[in-house]
Amino acid sequence: MHARRFVPTALAPTALAAFALALAAFAPLASADSSSRIALVPGGPHPYFAAWEQAGADAARDFDLGAADYKVPSKWELGLQNQMLESLVTQGYNAFLIFPGDPVGTVAIADELAGTGAPVMALAGCLKDPSEAKFCMGTDTGNSAYLGTRELLGNLPEGAKIAHFTGFLVDPNTQLRIDAVERAAEEAGAEVVQVIADIDAPEPAEEKINAYLAAHAEEIDGIITTAWVPAVVASSALRKIGDKRIKMVGIDHDEVVLEAIEDGYVHGTMLQNPYGQGYIGAYVADKLRGGCEVKADAPFASNALTEKFIDSGTVFAGVDDVGDHVASMQAITKELFEGFESTYLDC
Amino acid sequence: MTSDERLVAGESPSADEDTLRAAGFSPVRLLLSNEFGLIVLIVLFAAIFASVSPAFLSKFSLYALGRTAAVNIMIGFSMMVVIVTGGLNLAVGAIGVAAAMAGGALMQALGWPWPLAVAGGLAVGAALGALNGVLIVRSGLHSFIITLATMSIFFGVMIFLTRAESYRGISAAYAGFGRAKLFDILSPLLLVSVGVALALSVLFRLTALGREVLATGANERAAELSGIRSDRMITFCHALSGALAAAAGLMLVSRTGAAIPSMAGQLGQDWLLPAFLGPVLGGTLLSGGRVSVLGTFLGAFLVTMLTTGLLLMQVGAFWVQTWLGLLLLFAVLVDRARRSYLVRRKLA
Amino acid sequence: MNGARAGGLREGLRENDWFGPLLVTLAAVAIVTALNPAFLSPFNVQILLLAISVNAMVAFSQMIIIAIGQMNLSVGAIGGLAAIAFAGMMEVWGVPWPLAAVLALGIGLLAGLANGLLVATTGISAFIITLATLSIFKGVNLGITEAQPFYEIPAAVKSLGNDTFLGPLPWLVLPCAAVVLGLWYTLDRLSIGRAILAVGGNAHAAELSGISVGRVTVAAHALSGLLAALAGIMLVGRLQLGQPTIGDDWLILSFAAPVIGGAVLSGGRVSVGGTFFGVVLVAIFTQVLVLFSIDPFLVQIVLGVLILWAVGINRYREVRSRRRAGTVVT
Repeated sequence: MHARRFVPTALAPTALAAFALALAAFAPLASADSSSRIALVPGGPHPYFAAWEQAGADAARDFDLGAADYKVPSKWELGLQNQMLESLVTQGYNAFLIFPGDPVGTVAIADELAGTGAPVMALAGCLKDPSEAKFCMGTDTGNSAYLGTRELLGNLPEGAKIAHFTGFLVDPNTQLRIDAVERAAEEAGAEVVQVIADIDAPEPAEEKINAYLAAHAEEIDGIITTAWVPAVVASSALRKIGDKRIKMVGIDHDEVVLEAIEDGYVHGTMLQNPYGQGYIGAYVADKLRGGCEVKADAPFASNALTEKFIDSGTVFAGVDDVGDHVASMQAITKELFEGFESTYLDC
Repeated sequence: MTSDERLVAGESPSADEDTLRAAGFSPVRLLLSNEFGLIVLIVLFAAIFASVSPAFLSKFSLYALGRTAAVNIMIGFSMMVVIVTGGLNLAVGAIGVAAAMAGGALMQALGWPWPLAVAGGLAVGAALGALNGVLIVRSGLHSFIITLATMSIFFGVMIFLTRAESYRGISAAYAGFGRAKLFDILSPLLLVSVGVALALSVLFRLTALGREVLATGANERAAELSGIRSDRMITFCHALSGALAAAAGLMLVSRTGAAIPSMAGQLGQDWLLPAFLGPVLGGTLLSGGRVSVLGTFLGAFLVTMLTTGLLLMQVGAFWVQTWLGLLLLFAVLVDRARRSYLVRRKLA
Repeated sequence: MNGARAGGLREGLRENDWFGPLLVTLAAVAIVTALNPAFLSPFNVQILLLAISVNAMVAFSQMIIIAIGQMNLSVGAIGGLAAIAFAGMMEVWGVPWPLAAVLALGIGLLAGLANGLLVATTGISAFIITLATLSIFKGVNLGITEAQPFYEIPAAVKSLGNDTFLGPLPWLVLPCAAVVLGLWYTLDRLSIGRAILAVGGNAHAAELSGISVGRVTVAAHALSGLLAALAGIMLVGRLQLGQPTIGDDWLILSFAAPVIGGAVLSGGRVSVGGTFFGVVLVAIFTQVLVLFSIDPFLVQIVLGVLILWAVGINRYREVRSRRRAGTVVT
C-alpha cells in the first residue's frame, strides 16, 4: 500500500513534467554523465518536499543522470538524517542536495560528504557559514515572510494586531521568518501579539492553533502563517469560525489553502518553488561533477546564515492568481534555469 | 525482589540460576556462550552485508558505523547499570539531553573551556540520576513509574530553560572529536566507549562496590542481611546511569557540533529501544544480579551494524524499526527458551 | 469491607477513588472560569470535550493493563497503526467508513491479543514484550505510510470527529461515554472484570480460586488494544487526516490519568471514574496554559509532578490500609 503523496492539483505532476521537458530544450547540451548519482535528502517527512521526488525523477530523465533519488529520513531527527547520508555515501551516491536538519548540526556531515569528493548543496534551507556546501538555493524565506506580512497588513487598519504561526524550531528558516515578520509589522505600525512556533505537524498545529483561536480570536485582526501545516490548519480554522473578519496570508500551495483563498476566507498565499529547487539543483549537481566550478565572484545574495545564497523565487498569489499558481512558479523556475550556468558556473 | 520488581522482570530466574549453580554448571560458561554467539552474529552479518554491498567495508562506512555504535553502546551501558539492580531507568534519554544541553550552555553561554563543560555536563547527569535513585529509595515505589515521571519533568525543565533552542556555538576543538579519524577508520568516540567498557568491567568484576551492586540486584533481602546498604547501591547505580547517559549525549554534541534539544526525540523516548537492546542482547538479565559489559558492548554494536546494513540494503529507512522490534522480541524469546532448556536438562 | 463504611457517606466518599479528582476538577473549573470567562465559551468547551473523549480512550487502554498489574508500552503504537489502517483502507481501497472502522478496531484487538499471548505463554514481562511490539507496530506503520499522512478522509468521518450535536457536545463524546459505562459495568459487575482485578491483586490467589491467569491476561491485553485502536480512529476524525505520528506522545498521558485516578501499579485497584477525571484534569490544565499564554513546555513538567504526587498518595493509602488490616508492609 503506497501512501499518496500530496499534490497541488491532480494535473500538476503532468503539467510539471511537460514543463520540465520544455525546460530541458533550453539546456545547453548537457554532458550525458550517467555516473552522477544524486540524492535529494530533506530533514524529515513533510508535504513541502513531495515536489522534490518528481523534480529529481524529471531531472534524471532529462539530463541522463545515473540517478536523482529522493531519500527521506523516517523522522525529523538529526541523527537519522546523518545515518541516512552516511549510508547513501556507501550506496554510491556522489552528489547531495540537502535540507539541513539543523543549520549548524548538519555542517559536520555536509563537510564529511564534501570530503569524499561529492558536491553538496543546501536546498530550501541553508547551512550556517562556514561550510563546504557549494551554495544554498532556496526561497528567501525572510523576504517571503516580509512580503507576505506587508500584503496582510496592507489589508488591515493601522495598529492591527496579528498572530504568527510558523515552523519547526530546528528549521533554519524559522528564526529568519520570525524576524522578518516582526520587521514588517514594525514598519507598518502593527503588532505581532503572538508567535507560535514548532507546529509544522498536524497534531500540535491542530491543538495549539485551535486552542489559541478559541481563547484569543477576538483580540487579533490578522494571521500570518509561514509554514505549510500551520497554513492548512489555520485556513480550516478560519473556515470553521466563518465570519471572515480575521484576514490571513498563508504559504505554499496546499489545496486546503487554495480553496480557502477562492472562497474568501484567506487573503492569499506566498508560493515557494520546491520543484524548481529540486530540478535545477540536480542539474547543477551534475554539471559540478562534470568539471564545472562555481564562479568565485558569482552574484550571490546573502541571508542571516550564509553568504552564498541563490533565491529560488517567491510570489504572492491572491484570489486572482490561485487558479494558475503552477504557471507562476514555472515562470520563475524557467527564468532561473536559463540564466543559471552563465551566471553562477564556470564550465 | 519485591512484587513490584516482578512487574518488570517477569518470572525470576534466580531460582534457575541457583539450581544450575548447585548442579555444578558454571554460569561463567553460560555467559561466555552469549558473548561468543554475538561475535559470531557480528561476523556473519558483516559478511552478508559486505557481499551485498562491498562498500560496507569501506573506510568511511566502517568509520561511520563505529562512531554511531559508540553512542548506542554508551546508551546501552546507561540502562545496563540500572537493570543490574533489577530496576529501570526510562529517563535515560531525558537525562542525556538535559546534560548535553547543560554542557552546551556551559560552553557557549558561559564560555567555559570544553573539558570543564563536559565535566559539568557529566555532573548534571549524575545529579539527575542520583535524584531518581533517591526518589525511588525513599518512596519505595517501582523505578518504572518514578523514572516515567522524572523523564517528563527533566525534559520539560530542559525545554523550558533552553526555550527549545539549540546551542550552536560549541567549541570547535570539541566538535573536532566527532569528526576526527584515527588511521582513517576509527573514531575517538568509539575509543571513549571502549574505555568506559573497560572501567565498567573492572567495577563489576574486581571491586567490592561492583560485587555489592550485583548482590543487591540478585537478592535484595539477602544483601541487606549481609550488611550491604542496598539503598546506597541503588542510588549509586542511578547516578552512574545518569552520568553514562550524559556521556552519550555529550558524544552526540561532539558529533554534530551543536547541542540540539531534539537529539533524543520527544521526552528522550527515542533512546529507549537502543537502551534495552544492548543489554538484553548482551545477556544482562532484566531481573538483575547478572551483568555482561562485553555482552552489552557487542549487543549494541550488532544492533548498530544491523541498522546500517538494513539501510544499505535498501530495506528502506521506514522498515528498520520493525526489524529492531522483531530482533528484541526474538532475543528475549530465545534467551528465555535457552534458560528454561538448560534448567530442564540439569534437572532431568 | 463494611468497616470502611462505618463513617457513613463521608468516609465512603473519601475511600472512593473518583471523588477526590472530581472535587479538584470542579475547583479547577471554577477558578479558571473566574479568571477568564472565555474558558466556558461554547467553542472552548467543544475543544475540551474533543480532547477529553480521545484521551480517555488512551487512558482506559492503559488502565486495564494496570488493573492486571502489568504495563503496556505499545498503546500509542497500536493506536497509530489502527489510525493509518483506518485512513488507508478508506483512501486506497475505497472501503466505506463503518467497515473500515470495524476492521481497524479488529487490528487493534489482534495487536492486543498478540501482546497478551506473548506475555501469557512466555512468562516474559509485559514491559519488555510491549517494548518490542511497540517498535514492531510503529515500524509497520512507518513502513506502510513512509511517514506520509493519508489525506482523503470521508466527510462523514470528519464531521463525526469535529461536529457537535447538542450545543457544544461533540459526537465523539458518545463513544467515550459508552466506553466509560461499559468499563465500569465490566469491572464492577461482570465476572471477567472481577477476574481482572483479582489477577492484579494477587495472581497466585486468583489462580488457586480457579481463575485462569493466562486467559485473563490475554483478554485484558486484547481489550487494551481495542481501546487504543478506538482512540486512534477517533483522532483520525478529529485531525481530518490519517497521521502516522498518532500515538507518539501517548505514553505519559496513558499512565498519568489512571494514576491520578487512584490506580495502583502493582494491580488490583483501578477506578474508571477516577481515571476519567484524571483525563479531564490533564485536559483542563493543558488548555489553561494556552489560555493564559503560559509556556506550553510546562505541561511536561506538571504531568511528571502529577504522576509522582499521585503515586505517592496511592502508595500512602495502600500502606495505610494494609497497616489497618494488620498485614506486613513490604
